[in-house]
Amino acid sequence: MASGHAPQRPLGDAKPTPRSLEPGGTGLSGCRLGRTAGAPAAQVWAPQCNSMDNCEVPSKKVIEFKPPVYEQRYYFVKNLVNRHGLRKIADLGFGDATLLWMLKYHRCVQYLVGVDVAARPFEWGGGRLSPGVGGYIVPRELDLTITLYRGSAVQKDSRLCGFDLITCIELIEHLDSEDLAKFPEVVFGYFSPGMVVISTPNSEFNPLFPASTFRDPDHRFEWNRTQFQTWALDVAKLYNYSVEFTGVGDPPAGAEHVGYCTQIGVFQKNIAKATESSISEPEEHVPEEHIYEVVYTTSYPSLQQSKYFRLTLSSESVKAIGLMKSRFLRGLRKREGDRVVPLGSCTPQFGLTEAQRAEIDQSPKPYSVGEKFYVPLERLIIYPKVNHLVAGSMEKLRTILAEGLRLNGDQSAVQVELVDYQTQRLFDEHLISPVLES
Amino acid sequence: MREEAQLVATLQATSVKERNRFGGIFRDHVVDTRQYLDHVRESTAGTQGRPVKLFTNHFRVTSRPQQVTYKYNIDYMPDIEDGKVRTELLLQHKALIGKCHIFDGSSLLLPQKLLSPKMELVSLLKKQVVKVTIEFTSELTPTSPDCLRYYNILFRRILKMMELEQVGRNYYNKREATEFSDHNLVIWPGYVTSILEYETSITLCADVNHKLVRMQTAYDLISALCDGFPAKQDLQEQVSKQLVGSIVSTVFNNKTYRVDDINWEETPRTTFKTSDGAEITFVEYYKTRYDQVVTELNQPLLISKGKWKKSQRDTPQEPVLLVPQLCHLTGLTDDLRRNYRVMRDLALHMRLDPEKRQHELQKLMNAIQTNKEVQQELQLWDLKFDASFLSFSGRILKEVRIFQGRRVFDSHPQFADWSKETRSGPLLNVKSLDHWLILYPTGNYRAASFFLQSLRRVTPTMGISMREAKILEVSDTVQSYTTALENHVSSKTQMVVCVLSSEKKDLYDSIKQYLCVSCPIPSQCVIARTLDKLQTLMTIATKLAQQMNCKMGGALWKVDTGLQNTMFIGIDCFHDIVHRRKSIAGFVSSINQELTQWFSQCLFQESGQELVNGLKACLEAALKLWCKHNLFLPQAIIVYRDGVGDGQLQALLDHEVPQIESSLKSVYPKDSGVKLTFIVVKKRINTRFFVESEGRLRNPLPGTVIDVEVTKRQWYDFFIVSQSVKDGTVTPTHYNVIHDTVRFTPDRIQCLTYRLCHMYYNLPAGEQTMRFVSCNSPFEVY
Repeated sequence: MASGHAPQRPLGDAKPTPRSLEPGGTGLSGCRLGRTAGAPAAQVWAPQCNSMDNCEVPSKKVIEFKPPVYEQRYYFVKNLVNRHGLRKIADLGFGDATLLWMLKYHRCVQYLVGVDVAARPFEWGGGRLSPGVGGYIVPRELDLTITLYRGSAVQKDSRLCGFDLITCIELIEHLDSEDLAKFPEVVFGYFSPGMVVISTPNSEFNPLFPASTFRDPDHRFEWNRTQFQTWALDVAKLYNYSVEFTGVGDPPAGAEHVGYCTQIGVFQKNIAKATESSISEPEEHVPEEHIYEVVYTTSYPSLQQSKYFRLTLSSESVKAIGLMKSRFLRGLRKREGDRVVPLGSCTPQFGLTEAQRAEIDQSPKPYSVGEKFYVPLERLIIYPKVNHLVAGSMEKLRTILAEGLRLNGDQSAVQVELVDYQTQRLFDEHLISPVLES
Repeated sequence: MREEAQLVATLQATSVKERNRFGGIFRDHVVDTRQYLDHVRESTAGTQGRPVKLFTNHFRVTSRPQQVTYKYNIDYMPDIEDGKVRTELLLQHKALIGKCHIFDGSSLLLPQKLLSPKMELVSLLKKQVVKVTIEFTSELTPTSPDCLRYYNILFRRILKMMELEQVGRNYYNKREATEFSDHNLVIWPGYVTSILEYETSITLCADVNHKLVRMQTAYDLISALCDGFPAKQDLQEQVSKQLVGSIVSTVFNNKTYRVDDINWEETPRTTFKTSDGAEITFVEYYKTRYDQVVTELNQPLLISKGKWKKSQRDTPQEPVLLVPQLCHLTGLTDDLRRNYRVMRDLALHMRLDPEKRQHELQKLMNAIQTNKEVQQELQLWDLKFDASFLSFSGRILKEVRIFQGRRVFDSHPQFADWSKETRSGPLLNVKSLDHWLILYPTGNYRAASFFLQSLRRVTPTMGISMREAKILEVSDTVQSYTTALENHVSSKTQMVVCVLSSEKKDLYDSIKQYLCVSCPIPSQCVIARTLDKLQTLMTIATKLAQQMNCKMGGALWKVDTGLQNTMFIGIDCFHDIVHRRKSIAGFVSSINQELTQWFSQCLFQESGQELVNGLKACLEAALKLWCKHNLFLPQAIIVYRDGVGDGQLQALLDHEVPQIESSLKSVYPKDSGVKLTFIVVKKRINTRFFVESEGRLRNPLPGTVIDVEVTKRQWYDFFIVSQSVKDGTVTPTHYNVIHDTVRFTPDRIQCLTYRLCHMYYNLPAGEQTMRFVSCNSPFEVY
């Protein structure tokens, strides 16, 4: 669509734009879809128009960015989110949702919202944004809700209030003067997030491109650095934000004076740190106002939900128990009353640090009674993954495991079958050591 | 055992992606095989038997578009592989094509014509220009079978709208997952659906499906093995043995890969070149892209050679390297499958009885009817479904008469079981056990002697005379078994019984190989554990005695087919999923009138091809043998062909049937008038049948035949329920007569087929149809 970050057009304007001259992509220079996280640098190179018949042969040299500028913009946001551990993020003009998709992998992120005038229900596929199979097998640590709205950046909707960050990537240049005038009041005045990131083309860079027009026909303007910074500083002052300027897409050697290909303003709300952490809740004086239409919403399974916590904890426990059981069966054991106890320590030699192994060695040993195998919780809780999940709490381990697995009478150990589908193999292959009668 | 096999089959079906399955069904459904069968031009329905009111898991489509629709071909320049991306690019022009559209990835169905028959549009993919060409191809009339394909795509979109997640071809409800914590397994309930045209109407067939998910990564498996096999050589061998051939899924992006090899030289710290030419380690790559932390830096890497597609088997593919820690294991392993407890737990959960099945399906239909968005989407196309199961009349065939020695009895009408009767009298054709061996591994003397004692008790009534066996103790190794066999098997040996300490595939294979290839003697393997349970010992001994008698060339019973001089052939096909290359076809044919003696042969062939190419040689050998036994050639040949993949019906008609005909021509004298009937058998189907009694849905009785409503107008086909199951829902078998110069009436072919279902000797209780296909052949399916 219009630009790297797709079209945030004012309402009613939904026609697709045929072609982009924005230099970030490789549209004119081939059709590679690959992306990397390599160092951003622009190179000037002679065009080779071999893979597409329909592309015009540019008369000037084409600038290729590595990685493409649109991707540099996304990584800029991604790094910012990571650095500040941002929790609640909205992307205005989310386009094909690539930025949202990239952000969903961050552990810290818990609310992702996208707003786009051209947002379509279903068809573009919540696919990439949905938790998928993996989301259920390996739940996230923290909840994550993703919601997409159809709406415009110049409409007020109270559901966008109280965010940590709102991004407007390559958005403002699509707004006509009327909408541009409304935009600061809506985003800074009404939504009033902790941070705002606005990116827009730097027109000073344009002479380096073959075409001398705007980078996209839908652009209403392309500002030079002074124009953007003047606008941004005014907005910041009016709504009590501070702003810093940077950009992505380094100019080629010899043309450093033109600045970045994309200029970026990072706005930070000027309020005490104390309130910053509590801005997630919409401020009380904002009346509910729902203008946007929800086109997609999903919530991820996470360890904050008891069902997935239990599943993950019992899964990690069963894995640890499995390793112990196989050591137990292969090692020498002796009978002590009705119990069979190992002579060795049954500590797995693999995947543990020396300190962890030493600690496990010290803990109560597993044992078997008849066909059942018992692992004392005191031992289980030392296993790093189990320990991390229950944050060292024995009570939590006991309560949760009791829901999914079986505990022994005094609730001090987990009880599993001695023979399961994994240890069956040991029996089959005669790898079981005999039990010494004492 | 049978049910377990069925269960395994379902699980396999859900774990291996079958990409073209859907298209295949459509290809088959437009093949008109009935047009050549003029003897059933009037009707393919029979009349014999007792009528019974049946229900099926089909919902009638009560309304659908009545106008002409327009089909457009969509082309991408440059070409785009990913279906999702193709959709995305096309839908950038939604204003042009409108809200009401169905796109299958390469063609578009619209209710109205576009302004121009050919349009070139430009879409953007990550800033790159992609030319999208929309070109009008044809008008589809409302009855066109092609329309149905689009309705199916629409229906899948609807399932997606209801928050069901797509895995492979099916849709699962992950929020209703069931945990099996002890086994580290999770099962997701899901649905499999299809909209197809049948005898008089179009229906939506919906069935419940389950997806098995293992909470274990490839790294978990490797580390468990690392702990068990300190020697590097052993470890690598074990890891390969357990991982190669399995399907793993990468959880962060939901892709599945088949593991083809393990790379022990490299670790996640190895760098690779991205498409931009930058060098990056796997650790960095996953951290920056997916925020996935690879904690184990010393794990090997998995190699996947990319997706296996039948069409692409010759093109080399760039292998993909994967980090085991980020790969989850899917599907059942041999270890899992062998574990009785796991299989029982899974089966209990996945086997739904008719009531539960209906409840689940009704839930789906209700959700469809009440979901606002779904209804909006359906209204665009004027699609409506009935809310309840389709109902019609079926027939229950008469019980089958079993002949055993001088005794005659009928199979039990309720359970299709006659095992009680067979035990209490002499078998049809008895072989005595004069010279035979029993091998048992050290420590299993008890099992072996129990077995002998119980054999001594059950054989007299069966009419089998039995002399003392030579009993040999061996150690539990392949070497020990083979040495014992080499030393003690003589030309007089009639039977070798091997007691195995456990289900060890390599030992079983070696014994079978020795006794099939090196020194052909009938053999019977039995696992010690099955002989430990005293309460079932007699039943097991009886069944084993029956099997041994069969293997030695005896016969248990016969059924009257009502046909003279007719040879029955069973053909089945399997694919080697692990090595991807070979297909195996089994061929069995009757060589006597009683259908108690069989000729069997295995055919191997390259690649995923289903059709049997070496058929000619097999058929000629079979006819020769028949001739030797009967002194003349059979007048008619009836082929039951199983293992046919979806979409191959036309190929059967075009190649396999003609091949058999031409083989016959070369063997028979001119104008011999030999007749051929060719029947395609399908066991893996989603159609189920139910009867209602006392207000509850139940399984239909064995012998229930269905040849109306859910059969097809252009086929000579029918369903038979030939088994009875204690738990779950019975699976009917579908038979499609595609060639028939015998000119069977529907009644006769149905009756014949049902009788043949009683031929298999392993489990008299309604062994699921046509298992005579694999009987006597050196490989059993599971």
